Amino acid sequence: MIRFVLRRLLAAAILFLIVLTLAFAVVALAPGDPMAPADPRIPPEQAERLRALYGLDQPLPVQYLRWLGAVILRWDWGQSYRTGQPVAELLFDALPPTLLLAGAALLAQYALGIGLGLIAGFRPNSRLDLSVRVASLVVYALPTFWVGLMAVLVLAVGLGLAPAGGMTSAAAFELGPVAAALDVLAHLWLPALVLGMSMAGDIARYTRSSLIEFQATEAGRAARARGLSETRILLVHGLAHAAPRLLQLASVSAPLLLSGAVVAEVVFAWPGLGTATLVAIQSRDIPVVLAATTYGAALVIAASLAADLLLTRLDPRIRVE
Amino acid sequence: MIPVVAMRLLAAAGLAAILGWGCASDTPRDKTRLAVGMRFEYPTPNELLAPATLSYSAISNQFFLPLMAERPDFRDGPPTWAPGLATDWEFSEDRLQLTVRLRQDALWSDGEPVTAEDVRFSWLAQTDPEIPWSYSLYKESITDVEVVEAGTVRFHFHAALPSALADVSTGLILPKHAWEQRPFAEWRGDPSWFFENLVTSGPFLLENRTPGQELVLGRNPDYFEDGLPRLERVVLRTASDGAALTNLLLAGEVDVATGLGATDAQRIANQPGLRLIAYSNRQFTFVSWNTRRPWFQDAETRRALAMAIDRQAMVDTIWHGFAEVGNSPIISSVWAHDAGLEPWPHDPPAAREALAAAGWTDGDGDGTLERDGVPFRFELATFAGAAARWDAMQMIQADLRAVGIDAQPRRVEPGALIQRMREKDFDAAASAFAIDTSLDLRYAFHSRSIPGGDNYAAYDNPEVDRLLDSFATRLDPSAGLEDLHRLQRSLHDDQPILVLWEPLTLAAFNEELESVEPNALSPLANLQEWAWR
Repeated sequence: MIRFVLRRLLAAAILFLIVLTLAFAVVALAPGDPMAPADPRIPPEQAERLRALYGLDQPLPVQYLRWLGAVILRWDWGQSYRTGQPVAELLFDALPPTLLLAGAALLAQYALGIGLGLIAGFRPNSRLDLSVRVASLVVYALPTFWVGLMAVLVLAVGLGLAPAGGMTSAAAFELGPVAAALDVLAHLWLPALVLGMSMAGDIARYTRSSLIEFQATEAGRAARARGLSETRILLVHGLAHAAPRLLQLASVSAPLLLSGAVVAEVVFAWPGLGTATLVAIQSRDIPVVLAATTYGAALVIAASLAADLLLTRLDPRIRVE
Repeated sequence: MIPVVAMRLLAAAGLAAILGWGCASDTPRDKTRLAVGMRFEYPTPNELLAPATLSYSAISNQFFLPLMAERPDFRDGPPTWAPGLATDWEFSEDRLQLTVRLRQDALWSDGEPVTAEDVRFSWLAQTDPEIPWSYSLYKESITDVEVVEAGTVRFHFHAALPSALADVSTGLILPKHAWEQRPFAEWRGDPSWFFENLVTSGPFLLENRTPGQELVLGRNPDYFEDGLPRLERVVLRTASDGAALTNLLLAGEVDVATGLGATDAQRIANQPGLRLIAYSNRQFTFVSWNTRRPWFQDAETRRALAMAIDRQAMVDTIWHGFAEVGNSPIISSVWAHDAGLEPWPHDPPAAREALAAAGWTDGDGDGTLERDGVPFRFELATFAGAAARWDAMQMIQADLRAVGIDAQPRRVEPGALIQRMREKDFDAAASAFAIDTSLDLRYAFHSRSIPGGDNYAAYDNPEVDRLLDSFATRLDPSAGLEDLHRLQRSLHDDQPILVLWEPLTLAAFNEELESVEPNALSPLANLQEWAWR
């Protein structure tokens, strides 16, 4: 097992290095000058001074090695061209809100997906089953951006059931810890639900098919023969049967959740990695773009690794060699 | 069984609390504070390190003051100046020195007085090459800043220039005693240090900052103007997307939204309780025709292009009316604009005639004009991400197609396109300029600005050069009005650029706010006077 873990960690590290290199190459080879002043009254010498200050006057291989060395040895991602803030600090501020949103969305996704899958799996091919399947498909097909906008317009702006955006209310720094937590949760539930809904359809379909499949297995027939109730058979044994596959889905969800988070953060003015990345792309803030891309890739690699390791624990059919 | 019931009740109570917390409430408004939504995050209170944008300086101006501030009266005449930290100022006879007296009652928020030493320190920082500040060019005319006494400072200039007051007033006065402990060479290393060591002389001080979310400004009790600011607290909230910002405003979570797009403004326009304000921002969007390319070498052809393109349709459909058709780089809201200039009309038949007179004909019948064997087919570029301009490119393409010209729109990364435009490696391109009230347009139209500069069209007209040089050296700009009118007429006739529109800046305010007067210089221009009714 330890050898397996080490091997996976080594593969993850190599993958991470490839991502770093590719991200640098794509950004560095893109046309244009990030230091070009937008205001024509600013003389070009100012841009040259800034270029020298940020090391952009060096040949590309030198820039790459310096950047890679700083990242690997000191976790130093340089300074934002736009704000001058150290990028590691900037993303350190942006990462927790994204993890909170993505985590809550994952919960919402599984709660909704498993719930709907159970409803559909209880009575396969019934009207209820058909409705759930159609609804799952429709929700899956709708773009997160659109669903988010509609949710804000109807639930927040129209009905006032949730705040229209942000992670906290204005001047929330004055609130006590309980009130502050409630304030964040009040701002969190709608974006998390919208983001979670986009993948819940998949979970529902997998849960349903696993439950139907389980009922046809020997274990399913044995459980019924022992006189267990249908509810217990599906809720306990059926879900246990579905668990490894659902867990595998989590690793597939991670990149989708992260890319979805970018969209949801913009729609809900949520101050996370997605918003930071979008602003950085718009302002050609290369150090932030590079770091955000790599953070995203690292999160996906880590989620995939964690899911693989958990799977080896949960599914007795999988053997580690 | 009981624990299960208790847990269910607890969960229900928790859910009710969360939903209840998030629900809009009818509690009376706290009239001491205001929430302003902005589409950016304020990076640092040190303006020398921030990107050069009006949005950032609108906030910096709440913390720090300049010696004197430009009044928003540019519609009536050349710029005039209102006292800031200075009470009065006086030029020497040869105009090579300017003596400025400071307010005696201006204090930093830690109780230290604002002195001439702060003024000299600010100038040293503004001109230090290790910082380097985007607008240090405004300080090139100043050779020294002399501390005469604690309350008096003298500026020395290398020549008598019309821009002297503008040069002195550009940039805010920074706290020497608080910031000199950090060498200039280290300033760019950590701009957030200035948040932690912020003392202010302006109407507000920093109460709290949550990165990515909000900046809370509190009333500066040491501010020298009695009774100002009228608000105790202003919360500046960040929403990078225009639609998200509009939603915050419509839901009542912010009271003011600045930097709105035309579509957002339409959503707000008829909402009860909100007031939409559209005001000039001294910008104009234009297409540069590269006169080194065979299609754009003669003025007759360029005038025909102006008549072929329907700019009013762009204003109506892209801007929903929140812009004006432009016809001069000295825009209509500036005192020196030549009101006698009529925009070239949208007149496709006249455009076809003018093109034929210039030698453009469809000899091979393929629907595209040619001259000397060169088909009238060119690339029309604009910045990737500039949505309004991209829409305009599509409309220009259709308009030109109707007169036999094949324009091919293309989006290019902004830095790359600016580089290409400076190197004259483009056919035609749409971009935008913001003008300042010096009205010194040599950077855009003087032949000296062709090589590597921002005379993108490579426009070379000796008469225009002479007018630009003549105006730039006049100590009294108003005496140069005739020069500026002749300049505009030359540009109007020659059409090296086609001015498409003058956009308006859009901001929305809660109707219960009073004394709100945003202007081209700042959306938060007189924030210290804002109050709830």
